[in-house]
Amino acid sequence: MATTTATITLSSADLLSDNLSLSSTMNLYQHGTTATGLEQLNYHRALLPVDGDFDLIAESAALSEKANYVYIINKNTDVTDYVIISINSEPIGRLYAGDWLFMPWDCDLTHATADSSIEVLPKVHDIHIEYALFHSGETLPTSGD
Amino acid sequence: MATTTATITLASSDIADNNLSISNTATLTTAGTDTGITETTGLARKKVATSSNTVLLDSGAGIAADVTADKSAKVYIKNINDRGDGTKWVNILLATVEIGRLYGGDFMFFPWSGGSGKDIEFTCESTSGTDATETTLEYTVFYE
Repeated sequence: MATTTATITLSSADLLSDNLSLSSTMNLYQHGTTATGLEQLNYHRALLPVDGDFDLIAESAALSEKANYVYIINKNTDVTDYVIISINSEPIGRLYAGDWLFMPWDCDLTHATADSSIEVLPKVHDIHIEYALFHSGETLPTSGD
Repeated sequence: MATTTATITLASSDIADNNLSISNTATLTTAGTDTGITETTGLARKKVATSSNTVLLDSGAGIAADVTADKSAKVYIKNINDRGDGTKWVNILLATVEIGRLYGGDFMFFPWSGGSGKDIEFTCESTSGTDATETTLEYTVFYE
């Protein structure tokens, strides 16, 4: 069993009339357990050609109905560059240069009209992206030779 | 112009042979600029005890009226409940699409393409179906 933690800190000295300081830490546990950590990790860096629509993290049977957590960051530096993140053809939001997201991911194989793969659509320029999937098992493609 | 930052740290000493240590800080800006975001809902808390779907953020209305697809918005949500045995969670949805499960103690932080019909909703669930256990979420939105 692995122990993996995620910590977020949100802070600002001037967004509100008082300081904003929020911090939270969570453990990445497996579904249906009290405290058993996720043991598998995919961590990648990729260059996404502009206007290409890609499955960044593909759904698979072994990921379904499990606890999965996704981290994605747009590593570009031009502030106009962004990548649209979607699930089931529904745009979640735009990651501009330097932006990141961290969220659970429901790999839902029951959707009738679209898949639950996490899709990315880079805009303006090619996008350097880094992303990680913390999970408890995935279905690997069978070797064709 | 305000300066608001969001920092994520992902750490593990045993998920791989070498230590994992990912840390990045994003400065929250308006779309396509380096100008800081100046609006927020503030930190809010929502408590429910229903197995029905609940609208957490009504896009295009109320405080989220200014959040649209081509503007910058970031959402933080945390499930305040205890984790228990890990068989109960909150299913977070954007419109009708399931994003993911927040078990007790879990949080998420993500960009939000708002607009008409792009509500952020949630349903309390367990391994046996929808669940009416009292559940508390904390959330905030930063937007332009």
